[in-house]
Amino acid sequence: MRLFLLFFVASIIVLLLQTTLLHLMPTNPVVPDLTLVLCVYLGLYHPSVGAALGAFMLGYSVDVVSSRIIGINAFAMSLVFLTVYLSSRAIWLQNPLVTALVVLFASLIKGAALVLVSAFFVSIEGFWIGAGWYIIREALLAALLAPLVFALLRRGEGFVNRFRTAAQ
Amino acid sequence: MLAFLRKNQVALSACFCLLLSIYILIAAARGQLKNEPLGALLMWIMRPLQTVSQGAVNWIADFGENYDTLTGFRAENERLRRRIQNLEVERQKLLEAEATNRQLKQLLDFRSHLPAGAVTASIIANSAASWFQSCQIDKGSSDGVRKGMAVVTPLGVVGQVVAVTPRAAKVLLLTDPNSGIDVLVQRTRSRGIVSGSLENGTVLKYMKRSEDVQEGDRLITSGMDGVFPKGLMVGAVIKVRKQHLGLFQFVEVLPAVQTARTENVLVVAADGGAAKN
Repeated sequence: MRLFLLFFVASIIVLLLQTTLLHLMPTNPVVPDLTLVLCVYLGLYHPSVGAALGAFMLGYSVDVVSSRIIGINAFAMSLVFLTVYLSSRAIWLQNPLVTALVVLFASLIKGAALVLVSAFFVSIEGFWIGAGWYIIREALLAALLAPLVFALLRRGEGFVNRFRTAAQ
Repeated sequence: MLAFLRKNQVALSACFCLLLSIYILIAAARGQLKNEPLGALLMWIMRPLQTVSQGAVNWIADFGENYDTLTGFRAENERLRRRIQNLEVERQKLLEAEATNRQLKQLLDFRSHLPAGAVTASIIANSAASWFQSCQIDKGSSDGVRKGMAVVTPLGVVGQVVAVTPRAAKVLLLTDPNSGIDVLVQRTRSRGIVSGSLENGTVLKYMKRSEDVQEGDRLITSGMDGVFPKGLMVGAVIKVRKQHLGLFQFVEVLPAVQTARTENVLVVAADGGAAKN
């Protein structure tokens, strides 16, 4: 329950940052995709039914506040979670560089999923070339921030575990 | 069977979420997804947090612009440095109040030229995803905002309301690739559609090669799409290129409204539909 609360609060904070403070960055309109980083974290360290639903809800939340079409980010996040979960057993996770690389590839997967879904549901001229440039920049930003976000989440989990031990 | 399900429950859950999201996508694309209780709940949670956070963002942006002035005053008058700092803090507050007052007065004056029923709103959040150019405003259905209403400022068109909850609304900006605003070139009265583009910024589409469009031409709303009142400023042409092949010429547009610097907007129906504020 406490872990659920931790990740719920983290999701709200991440969504808040992405819709307000992070737009101050000089890379605007490209904003680091912290929701993706959170989704990758869930897939790597907490692979569970709840985490799968959490990844879906993260994407759905992004759709509610941003997207023209509801469901597009929910699909992309679910796909990222599934991919990260299936490959997590083969990845050595102790190195921040590996973490950044995993997030980089996850971001590319998400970008590809968004382009694929957009091809079916949205008809926009010149979408592909512009989308490619956005995908690369978003992926690099997310990969740069991933080790920091992961460290903060681990610290949060440590705090929750200590609190639970003290309560027992 | 049960053992298989238990062993692969995570992967199966993720696959279920994938299928669910596809179902939602199809329903949304068909226009069947009208009421989203989850979306309304999320907006209800996020709205007050985003209002506070956006206030902090606006303060940081304004402080950055006045930073050079502060250092200039400090260097120029070292002896009265403490006094000047106090005066600058007070001045900042007064300037902010004056700017807000001026913006709101402009909005009120502008509102009198629009169809009746315009709603004043503040932008409280931007898009969470880079690909989608949207923002959120702090007025919703309980304030008279409806899906499809136009969002404008005295400078020009901002976008269109695409989703509404009781206390907030999502606005699709003019710079989004999914947007499309019917416009006229003010000088020649040629018609086209202004839309966003990930690759080329904002563009004017379906402008035939035979049409006379020049750099510097102003684009205004035609009023024919039933969304935006006629005559509102949309942007100015900054580049025109006639490709060797094709029916249309390439026209790049600079939007009249820079949403990054916009705080207050007006929400209006083209037909002056009833609303309360």
